[in-house]
Amino acid sequence: MDSLHAIGFYVSAALAGVGGLGLAFARRHERRGLALGLVGVGVAGAYASLSAGFAAVIALLCYAGCALLIARPDYRTVEHSVGTVWRQLGAVGAAVLFAALAYAAYRGDFVHATFYGGPFGSLSLARLMFAHDALATEAVGGIVLVALIGAAAAWRRERPRDHTEGRP
Amino acid sequence: MSVTLVSVMFVAAGLIALGAFIAAWKRQLTAALTGLPLVFAGAGIAFAGVARFSTAASGPPLVGQEMAVLLVIVALAAVALGVGLAGRESSR
Repeated sequence: MDSLHAIGFYVSAALAGVGGLGLAFARRHERRGLALGLVGVGVAGAYASLSAGFAAVIALLCYAGCALLIARPDYRTVEHSVGTVWRQLGAVGAAVLFAALAYAAYRGDFVHATFYGGPFGSLSLARLMFAHDALATEAVGGIVLVALIGAAAAWRRERPRDHTEGRP
Repeated sequence: MSVTLVSVMFVAAGLIALGAFIAAWKRQLTAALTGLPLVFAGAGIAFAGVARFSTAASGPPLVGQEMAVLLVIVALAAVALGVGLAGRESSR
């Protein structure tokens, strides 16, 4: 990997990190949507630096969709009733998780191999997804379809009562 | 300056932990839900890194990229479902 790709990877990772911190500490949902878009740009850049151009395009599109969902004007909030102690325990657990994953990455004995794929790889990826692992792809497609149908059904509002009352 | 699998794993660990922190720390359900794409992004970067640096010569080389693509799509579906369910709960 040359220096340009390395700089691209680290800049993208920093963008994703800044976006993640924005997600964690932003109070307004529009800003959270913006931060999620920034995370998407960073993740797409990291994918592109790792010679996964097709995944980068898909990530950019999907995270833009996520950001639009979060930043939409009719955003509604639901407070969940978890106590402060549990939230703090969760935060400490996240820190412990980072320490464990970083230690595993640092101590890991990884096999190093030469990469022969191209920078985009859409043809090889399509062969893999639709021929070699077609069943897994269809399963994920089914899950996504059910989730989107569920989301649409849950989001649908009841019609206002005054529209339906008084009709014959 | 170079990128190794260890540095990729560090970035992935940071994103996963940050996503877990957001999911645990936020009071609002929809705000906590935004940690989920971050966790999936970290996992996807780890998969793409393994596909780039450490794929065995005998196996298919792009399985990691395939997993990254599928994880991104599942993250979008999860956010859509969560936002939809949150809207339903708040309208009651």
